[in-house]
Formats: sequence, structure tokens, C-alpha cells
Amino acid sequence: MNRRQMLKSLALCGGVAATGLPKLVKAKSKTVSAVNYKALFEKALKENPKLIGYSGVEHDLMSENLVIEGRLPMDLRGHFYRNGPARLERGEVRYQHLFEGDGMVHDFAIANGKIHHRGKFIQTNKYKAEQAAEEFLFSGPDTRLQNSLAITKADDINVANTSILPVGGDLWALWEAGSATRLDRSSLDYRGQVKLGEQTAAGSSLAGMPFSAHPKVMPEGDIWNFGYNSTGHIIVYHLNSQGRLLNFKVVNTQFTGGMLHDFLVTQNHVLLILPSIKQNGGNQGYFAQLGFAPEQPLEVLVLDKTHMAVQRRYELDPAFVFHFGNAWEDNQGNIRMDASLYPHLDVLHKLSDLMAGKLPKEETNAQPTLITLYKNGKVDTQAFKIVSEFPRVLPQTTGHKNQHLYFLSSGQNAVWHDTICQLNVDNGKLNQFQFGDDFIVEEHVPFSPSGKENKAYLIGTALHVPTKRSCLNVFDANALQNGPVCRAWLPYYLPLGFHGHFQQA
Amino acid sequence: MKHLLLMTIFAIATGKSYAQNHSLEFSINSVNSDKGKLYVQLFKGEDNFKKGAPHAAQIMPARKGNTLLVFSNLTPGEYAVRFFHDENNDGKMSTNLFGIPSEGYGFSNNAQPVMAPPSYQDSKFTITSDTKVTQNSSDVIY
Repeated sequence: MNRRQMLKSLALCGGVAATGLPKLVKAKSKTVSAVNYKALFEKALKENPKLIGYSGVEHDLMSENLVIEGRLPMDLRGHFYRNGPARLERGEVRYQHLFEGDGMVHDFAIANGKIHHRGKFIQTNKYKAEQAAEEFLFSGPDTRLQNSLAITKADDINVANTSILPVGGDLWALWEAGSATRLDRSSLDYRGQVKLGEQTAAGSSLAGMPFSAHPKVMPEGDIWNFGYNSTGHIIVYHLNSQGRLLNFKVVNTQFTGGMLHDFLVTQNHVLLILPSIKQNGGNQGYFAQLGFAPEQPLEVLVLDKTHMAVQRRYELDPAFVFHFGNAWEDNQGNIRMDASLYPHLDVLHKLSDLMAGKLPKEETNAQPTLITLYKNGKVDTQAFKIVSEFPRVLPQTTGHKNQHLYFLSSGQNAVWHDTICQLNVDNGKLNQFQFGDDFIVEEHVPFSPSGKENKAYLIGTALHVPTKRSCLNVFDANALQNGPVCRAWLPYYLPLGFHGHFQQA
Repeated sequence: MKHLLLMTIFAIATGKSYAQNHSLEFSINSVNSDKGKLYVQLFKGEDNFKKGAPHAAQIMPARKGNTLLVFSNLTPGEYAVRFFHDENNDGKMSTNLFGIPSEGYGFSNNAQPVMAPPSYQDSKFTITSDTKVTQNSSDVIY
């Protein structure tokens, strides 16, 4: 080793790259420096019982033989997994953004006409340390603790709280700013963070790289995903069905908006969809400093799956988006996709306001929008005048033509979803079921034992506010308007979460 | 030789040590394995720290636990140390594809990065004219 090489290597010590995480302020004591979110939330909860869904819980949950109303379909056997932020407070500190809470994985085991539930906190190193200390030890993206322990990499505060995916014999609990988290599928025990490069030529070059919470699983089993860095670099991953790395590439998109939540794949392409947002910087929290950029088009980059190189770019009207349902290629080589498009970014900040018990004064709704990206560069959009979030399609149609798009909706505003919808994307026909004002409805996932869209179920959870209980609901996906064919009641409520997955037995 | 003798007499007469007869004992703590080597740089002053121009550097085999190394013949002034643990022995600090270190590293004063490297101000320490041996330490950040 010569001196020049050594100096070059050490120079990296001084050049630790910025990540998608905030430049956290090192403070001096273990109290939150800003508004008392806990006091505000407690006061608001007394006046509005619907906020109970954002109270969080403190312990693991378990209930056997849930009380079932209706008839549990005999061909519905397996596990319905969900994930979401569940530990939102410790001591006098309440997180300032919903995205900061520690993840809890839920397993609804469905077999022999019975349903059992387990909810287990994901035992990340962060969670275990804070559980032992009986207080939060690490600042989050928005919540700055005085005296936070050092955060030297994103995975130090990986709360694994956004989504869940069965991979091989494991479950992967997914965040978006760091590694996937491996859980034992039977016990739900923590097994460590997934090291994607291990035993491949990539080696440690993928250590701690972001792995989004919205991987796409092709019907053949291959897994595609991406990870975003706020420098604009995006890594695209291709894994086999067992989670083994097949290929990856870093693409410099120059998108410095600061957050990228979801993406799409078709049979031959990867779509990176870059919303109209920007980082304003300053001393605010990471999410708090993100703003809408009305002058910035929503951009779609189309990459070929083989070389992972950008082939086409499209510009759409400015919009923000969290989630997409599906994308596919028609016979002419045009790409069809859908998105739940927001006219601005208020929804992100609403999730902070809710933590303080504040309800938004104005509607912050997304609309389901069908988009055609023509081969000649033109773009068509068709928006439906209905609230839309958490869009899902039947897993067997991922990357291929889907007839139905499922999503949550609301008759009033998007604070509380109270309706599930099936939109026929061919003719615009809408089937829906409204739960009623007493329910807050969470993501519902389509599933078909036969793989056919004409014989499918929709399964998901809802919180019944007056009784403070959550329920699991199963619908005939093609007859939503008839109400659930089966509803199973938990004796407790679940913290309102994010995404789930049904795994057939 | 005559010059050295005069300096020694001067030092004895004034009761002060010879200007370069200071040393730094730097302890690198919590090394996690015997694999590879430790690469350590000592900087004098903020400009040199920012330019990456070291005053001295050492390479030594990694040993699990704590390792003490000594920099000798130092003059009084402000200094800072940075190091990394080259576990895979490829002569460079490995990073992931977004530039985040995937091998252990550290800075004097146990200064911690907060999604950016520690500043010189966080890492600096002073060797004073009246202290012959200055001590400093840092845990390896993995």
C-alpha cells in the first residue's frame, strides 16, 4: 500500500455521502424541543374518538378464534400479513410524524374455518434498545430528541414499519430508507437486516442501501424494487423469488425531491415516476421541509429491464403521488399505468398534523388516474372524480393487463377512508361498499385462489371506533356492494397501519 | 550535535521540554475483528484536515479490542485524527453504492457523524506546550 492510495482511502472518511435522511441536530437532553405533541394529541383524542387509531399500542397482541360473522370461504386459506407504525409514544415523547413509529407486523392465520391473530413488534436493534431504556433514544426524521444517540447510517433508525412481503421461507418487513428486515415466518421473530449483496459479486457495495416498501413481484416470482437517495441516484434491484440478487444498477435521475415511495414494472420495463416535490431545507424535520413544486412536471422514466437504462422520458402535469396500482404494455408498445394523484403535497404534512390531533381544514384527496404513455412520446390521462388511495391489483396481473383496480375511498374527505372500490379500468364501471361513519377502513388486498380476476376476494382490516375494536373483512371482489361475506372481530383495536399481503396456504 | 546539546541545556534551564518532544497516544477502541488493517491519519490544523493533507499516518494490523498507537515528535498545536478499519484488506475504505461507509471508521474525540462527517471542530484537540503526552481515543463506528 503506497501513501497515495492510503490518502485516497482515508479521504472517504471525510466524504461520507449525504443520504435521504435528515441532517439531525445533536441536542442536549431527552425531551422534544418543539411543540408537546403528546399533550395536544391526548386533548384532541378526548374530543374526537376516531383518533384512537393513531394512539399506538405498547405490547404485542394475540387473539385466537376470532368471532366470525358470515361465512368464511373454504378456499380462503393462508396468512394475511400487515405492517404499520405501532409504537408512537414513550414516556412524554410522542413522535411528530406517523412514518416514524416502530413497526408491528400482524398475522391473521386463516385455516379450517378459523382465524387467529398475532401482532408483534419488530424487534429491530433500535426497538430493543429503546424498549430496554423505556424511552426513545434516537431522533427520527422529524422528531428531534435532545441527546439523541448517534445515527451514523439510515439502518440505525430503520423502523421496518411500512410493508410486508413473504420471500423464500421468511417475511421481509419493509421500510424505504434502508435495508429490508428479515422475520421468521412462523414466530415473527426478528432475524436481522437483509444483506442483499452477500454471497454475490456485489459484496458490501449494497450494505445498508435503501430498499423501498413497494417491491413488485412478477407472476413468475421475480422481485423488482428500487431504492432512492436524495442526491437523485436510484438503485434498481432484480431478485429471484427467494430474494437472491440477480442484477442491480444505479441510475442518476437527478431527482432531488427528497422522497420516492413507489414505482411500477411492466413485462419489459421499469417505471420510475418522479413526483413534483422539492426539498426546502432549513431546520425543520425531514418530512416537514419537503414541499410541492408546482412548476416541476411529474416525470416518468422508462427503463428496459435487461440493461436498466433509461429509454424514454415523459412529462405529465405537476402532481404528487404515493402509490400506483399497476402498469402493462399494450399490443402497440404503449404503456398503460394508474396512479392515485394528489394536486399537492398536503397529505404528507397531514400525517404530521394527525400526530398532534389536528385534522386538516381542507380536503387532501388523490384521484385514481389512468395514464397512457404512448410510444411516440404523447401522454393521455383520465382522472376519475372519486377519492383514491392504497391502490392494489390482483398479484397475478402485476406487470400485465389488469381489468380491475382496487382502492380505498371516502365520501367525505381522505382523513378517514370509509369505502372500498373496484374500478373496471376497461369501461370505468365502479363497484363500491361504504362501511359507514363508525369505521376507519385500511388497505384491502385482492386475492384469487385460482388466479382469475372473475373469482377473487378482497381482504382487509377496519377499525370500528365506537367499540374500539378492529375487524378483518373478506369480500367477494366482484360483488363489493353486497358487503363482506365474512367479518372477524378482534377484541382490541389495531393501530392504523399501511400495507399488507395475502399469502395462500 | 552541538545544536542538540544547546537545545537540551536550554530545555533544562527553562524547565520546558524541547518543542518537538510531544507525543499523542491515540486509542482506537472496539475493533470488531483481527481482519485487515487500521489506517490512521493525524492532521495538524483545520486547513490540512479539510485538504486531507496529513501530518503523519500509520498502518497497522487490526486486533480485536482496543489498539493504542503513538505519534511522536509533535509540536504544540491543534490536531485531529481520522481512521478506518480495512477489514477486507483492499487498501481502501469500502462504501456502498451511495457512498455510505461499509467498513468501520472513526474520528478523534469519538466525534460522531450525523448523516455527514464530523466537523473539524468536533474532532480537534490541542497539544499544549506543558503536556508531554496527550491522550485521545475513539470507538470504531461500524
